[in-house]
Amino acid sequence: MDFIELKDLYFEYKRGKPIIENINLKINKYEITAILGPNGSGKTTLGKLMMGILKPTKGQVNISNMNSSNMTLAEISSKIGYLFQNPEKHFFCNTVEEELGFALRFNGQDVDYINRRVEELLILFQLEDKKGNCPLLLSQGEKQRLAIATILINNPEYLILDEPTTGLDSHRKSVLINILKELTKKGIGMTIISHDHFFIKELSHRRIGIHRGEIIYDKRS
Amino acid sequence: MINPIEINDLYFRYITSTDYILNGINLTVSKGEILAITGLSGMGKSTLLNIICGIIPHIRKGDIKGEARLWGRDIKDLKIADISKRVGIVFQDPDIQLFSPTVEDEIAFGPENLMVEREEIGRRIENVLKIVQMEDYRYENPNNLSGGQKQLIAIAAVLAMEPDILLLDEITSQIDDYGKERIKGIILNLKENGKTIVLVDHNRDILKLADRILELKNGKLSIKGW
Repeated sequence: MDFIELKDLYFEYKRGKPIIENINLKINKYEITAILGPNGSGKTTLGKLMMGILKPTKGQVNISNMNSSNMTLAEISSKIGYLFQNPEKHFFCNTVEEELGFALRFNGQDVDYINRRVEELLILFQLEDKKGNCPLLLSQGEKQRLAIATILINNPEYLILDEPTTGLDSHRKSVLINILKELTKKGIGMTIISHDHFFIKELSHRRIGIHRGEIIYDKRS
Repeated sequence: MINPIEINDLYFRYITSTDYILNGINLTVSKGEILAITGLSGMGKSTLLNIICGIIPHIRKGDIKGEARLWGRDIKDLKIADISKRVGIVFQDPDIQLFSPTVEDEIAFGPENLMVEREEIGRRIENVLKIVQMEDYRYENPNNLSGGQKQLIAIAAVLAMEPDILLLDEITSQIDDYGKERIKGIILNLKENGKTIVLVDHNRDILKLADRILELKNGKLSIKGW
């Protein structure tokens, strides 16, 4: 099932200097798709266009057959969880516990449910002893784990993860691989932007290479 | 001979925490040595680097016991301005490090504050941009660069200060394979020029560059085997 469709997509910050140039792509909802390419090739920009954080200069992004330019970011984020390359961009609460529960409180969920989900995710991401800490004062690996947990607590249908292994040690990377594999079994697909070959090899069904804003290969495992 | 870094029985606890994150660290690093520190996230690797460059205790406060010495002098007795003339740190997150409107300004900032001559600053900017192969981005705003490109500029900015000790905190986490190879070459070249390097990393390819690998676990350092 095609979930995200990119049609003749073009994006530039400066006139005449395209970052994304004429990309056409259909992304399956239940697969893990990897976006690969050298630094500055447009991977993060492509992820932000898919999420609707950036609007295309030309062309169109469809999410579940709806033009994302006609959707609010809140509508898109109720379907897709997006992990920023820098986890600090996710944080604004005083404690890890508040940060994790924020989206559920905002959506008016029941307090018992919120507490149960927060506790589950603290355990899953080995952050139980950090729940009273300020998110901005965590180590980089802890920030990354918390950022991923804040996305998963919202039960998204699909994930876009930009460099999810940054700051993670090998043990935590293996834990994350297992969590993401479990999510895929539950029907949650994802697009992963990464330079981490081991991580991509373990997880991806499809690999798309981009260079200077254009697709240079599209392979299936 | 006085070693660049000597740490004796060092304990550190953040004000916000009841537990000591560093629990009796003993460490000597020789001139020209590459030391790698590894360990699980949250074990205090970045904290230890922040002590070596004086951010702790001069800027970020906490409960510190024991000694951390640079060339025989206790870090507590040195001014942060004097430490920064000889110790450079590349942070794990380049967004913390980069704040200037252009890449050129960013690289010039450190040498300007060290009162380096204008012509020499120009020479250093050209040289370090060539080393990291980012010459085409000299007049770009660092905010518009990709994560990996920001890491390359953060490295270039520290190289331009020509420090004697370099502290490298997971500096290749967002850099592509080609860039990683270049960084490995830069690190080995710095060693050949007598620089002392302490690097924190999870990447085996980078760890292999080290003369010694130590693991930081439960606040203590021990020799790391593969």
